[in-house]
Amino acid sequence: MSHERSPLYFALRRFADNKAAVVSGIILAVIILMAVFAPLITLTGYEDQDYLTEALGFPSAAHWFGIDDLGRDFFARIVYGARVSLSIGFTAAFFSVVIGIPLGAIAGYYGGAADWFVMRLIELFSVVPPLLAAMLLGALTNGGFVTIVVIAALFGWVQVCLLVRAQVKAFREKEFVRAAQALGANPGYIIRRHLIPNSVSPIIVGFVLAIPLAMMLEASLSFLGIGVPPPVPSWGQMINVGMNFMYFYWHLAVFPTAALAITVLATTLFGDGLRDALDPTLKGR
Amino acid sequence: MIRFILGRLLSIALTFTVVSVIVFLMMHSVPGGPFDGNDMPVSDAVKAKLNASLGLDKPLYVQYFKYMWGVLHFDFGIPFQSPGETVLELLARAWPPSLILGGSGVLIGTPLGILLGIAAALNRNTWIDYVVSALSTLGMTIPVFVISMMLIMVFAVWLGWLPASGWEKPNSWILPIAAYAAIPMATYARYTRSSMLDQMNKPFVTVLRAKGLSERRIIFQHVLRNAALPMVTVFLPMFIGTATGSIFVEAMFRVPGLGAYFVSSINLRDYPLEMALILMITMMFCVAYLISDIVYALLNPRIRFGGKP
Repeated sequence: MSHERSPLYFALRRFADNKAAVVSGIILAVIILMAVFAPLITLTGYEDQDYLTEALGFPSAAHWFGIDDLGRDFFARIVYGARVSLSIGFTAAFFSVVIGIPLGAIAGYYGGAADWFVMRLIELFSVVPPLLAAMLLGALTNGGFVTIVVIAALFGWVQVCLLVRAQVKAFREKEFVRAAQALGANPGYIIRRHLIPNSVSPIIVGFVLAIPLAMMLEASLSFLGIGVPPPVPSWGQMINVGMNFMYFYWHLAVFPTAALAITVLATTLFGDGLRDALDPTLKGR
Repeated sequence: MIRFILGRLLSIALTFTVVSVIVFLMMHSVPGGPFDGNDMPVSDAVKAKLNASLGLDKPLYVQYFKYMWGVLHFDFGIPFQSPGETVLELLARAWPPSLILGGSGVLIGTPLGILLGIAAALNRNTWIDYVVSALSTLGMTIPVFVISMMLIMVFAVWLGWLPASGWEKPNSWILPIAAYAAIPMATYARYTRSSMLDQMNKPFVTVLRAKGLSERRIIFQHVLRNAALPMVTVFLPMFIGTATGSIFVEAMFRVPGLGAYFVSSINLRDYPLEMALILMITMMFCVAYLISDIVYALLNPRIRFGGKP
């Protein structure tokens, strides 16, 4: 053996072999770039009613996705919609991880009463449909960006927590943890220094797979009119409006539908690929 | 087994109580009351009288215990938005369309998904496998209103084969049922495929091959039976999941079912209906998980005969 190859190298190789995941990753990267550089690639802002005389216009060379019912360039609205969708997805996933890691680590490390409590908490979140709770919370706080992130994180941490709990539970009995305990390390230190670093792959997977769930929740709530308030562009909201014009102006329904479907699909496949690459034993679940 | 069921029942009672308290508190902390609408403004004195007549002037904990006492006697109150009937009568009227559409969707989608999953597992890494995998990922990741929208665009708007909305004519049921069927089909295709592949790599399959059994008998008598175990557990929760799916499917296809009441009860501060809907769904999920666990235990000989799962 001339030189050792790191686990990361093998993970990358496994990921590169998964064509669907690579393509999804590229698509996702393009969508993120479009969202970041939205002002550079669009004609107008998302709320500029510059084309009122051409309202409901069909797609053309000048307006790739046509013009919406209020005279706004629809391509601009879709691109800015990616900003809303992605930022909600990533923020919510971040907070899911922030809630899920400590709870999962505590439940997995201590077991017993702590585990019982966390599992009951998870049970609570599994019997209440997230959508109903979200609708109630949405009414309570009048919707908006923060509310949606809070709701999505509140229901997104369960997955991360379960993944971390399983990993910590499996590593708790390993020799290096025993050794650390024998050397007098306190539980907080062991969890921070040994168990969480060993849970990095499930955490990454949990993070990525929480993103599409949050994006779907945002779209669903906005579709029902209790998500991000107009004029902030949200794909769910656009689908709802587009539905009313479907028979005569198909573009208002088709483009947001496609945008949402492609983004959610690409993120999910990318996450699936990451999971298979980082943890081959979980493959296909 | 009986200990296990009793333990679970206690846990369900606990969950149910916690959920009811949280939902009740949240529901009442939403600003505004049932008579604060702008289309028919009433004076403060009238409003106070109306609130008093419904017991809304009492302290929250009194209202909570009064309502829960009723729930224990199957009395869910009278919906504010339709005072001519009880909540139970409203549910009896609005639920059947949702149940028919959602139920047919699950009953059609499940066997279809299982067949697709078997086909994919048996033809691993061929185009059949790829198509099934793509379809199941699509079905599991795309929100149900997007699926509905695609169905309407293709079959109602472009091809013009089926009506886009309505409830009266049976042919208007086809598209909503297809929308409902998408999720169970996708879920089952995925589960069946991975579960079968799991089993086919097990040593007992090699033994069966060595014994000279035909591939067909191995698949249908041995692999499928073992692969079916994890699939049983997702069925009931998925069936109940169609209740919340109805919010979107029924809005898209303009079906007069339960879906719209989820939204309107929250918007109109229709406390009794809101509480009844959420409690019912919660209860059904609890019971569904319990039944799934019991069925799983009964089907799995390793648990049935007292061993550890």
